[in-house]
Amino acid sequence: MKEVKVEVLGPEPPCMRCQAAKKVVEKVAEKLKQTEISVKVEKANVMSKDIVSKYGVLVSPAIAINGVVRFMGRVPSEAEVEKTIKEAVKKEA
Amino acid sequence: MKKLRTAVLLGFVFTVIGLLIYSRIMAYSLAPTMKPADFRGLAIWEIPIAYLIDYFSHGWICLLFAFVAAGLVYEFVPKEAITKYMGSGRVAGYGLALGMAPFLTVCSCTMVPLFGGVLFAGAGIGPAITFLLMAPAANILSILLTGELISWELAGVRIIVSIVVALTAGIIISKTPWGKAIEKEHQQTVPTGQKSIEIVKPPLDERLWSSLKFAAYLAKQILPFFLLGLVAVSYVQAYLPEDIVGTYLTGVTGVLIASVIGGPLYTPTLVEIVLGKGMYELGMSKGALLAWLMGQPYDVANALAVSRIAKWKVVLTYMLIAWAGSVIFGLMYGILSGSL
Repeated sequence: MKEVKVEVLGPEPPCMRCQAAKKVVEKVAEKLKQTEISVKVEKANVMSKDIVSKYGVLVSPAIAINGVVRFMGRVPSEAEVEKTIKEAVKKEA
Repeated sequence: MKKLRTAVLLGFVFTVIGLLIYSRIMAYSLAPTMKPADFRGLAIWEIPIAYLIDYFSHGWICLLFAFVAAGLVYEFVPKEAITKYMGSGRVAGYGLALGMAPFLTVCSCTMVPLFGGVLFAGAGIGPAITFLLMAPAANILSILLTGELISWELAGVRIIVSIVVALTAGIIISKTPWGKAIEKEHQQTVPTGQKSIEIVKPPLDERLWSSLKFAAYLAKQILPFFLLGLVAVSYVQAYLPEDIVGTYLTGVTGVLIASVIGGPLYTPTLVEIVLGKGMYELGMSKGALLAWLMGQPYDVANALAVSRIAKWKVVLTYMLIAWAGSVIFGLMYGILSGSL
């Protein structure tokens, strides 16, 4: 079982497109459960100090996979997110 | 399959652009053509219906183009380059705040976070304020609609004035003690190199599709309010007597009144443009119209969101500067264009 951490970065209170992004990620996480990849989904405040000091200025919604921002300012499709997560797993291995 | 999808999407985009150019060549008016006098004979319930039909029979090309353009620009603007340079220095920060705010902020979703990001991570309070003021005043949707529905002269003036006011407010606030205090409290260094950002480049059809999806999202957000606004405008056109507009919305008083009511009445839904046009047709001066359109940066919802990060003193200062700017430039434009 491989573990991947996915952060959905958006403002607090959440905006609609960030919620849409989170839904996409959650669906992919559900799907990947069957393929031996466990995805830990977290929602982080794009304006909190630690997020800013980690990633700098971001356009929300942004999605970071294993501490690397891979999507920014848009809601990606499920296929894209799945592919990117799988790439991240391969990289770790 | 992928190629076909790309072709269909590109075809759609070019058709929309083509429609606008075609309407331009044929000198076909995209703005509603009914005059206040046309409404006088209609029953109460007929007024909004007649106005909406008139509006959409002309305005749909313009609206379609505006939303599609906003979606495309937002999708294709190189966001990661911007966010990288936003943090680099003061001058670059101001430049990017002015240059990029119009393209990135068609969605209120992005505005406050970016404001926070610029303030925390990089260029400081000055560029952050400049960005915040520039964004609603001159975003691509409102400029397109101002140009199409009212006049491109006014749209141009609106851009220039927004730049001047936003820059002035940013520079002034960065010099005030309370502005500096906020900056000190939040400023922090960001690790250099920024290895933590590696954006995935999606294929063209995916990008086109997502820009159209974003256009549809914007339309869904804005159009319901826009429709309600149009209904209100139709009644304004039908019932607001021309002499009241002529008395109160011209001259120096006109600019002052327009600048004051422009703020609280502002909703980020482009209604201010149609409402402004309605009143302009009833006799509001060009100066007052500009002041009215410029009134929005100190709208209440935005100020509330920002006051959570910056203290109320900063919010009050920028509201005051924005208001003064709308009065000063309203008067100047009124005098220069001979319509005060």
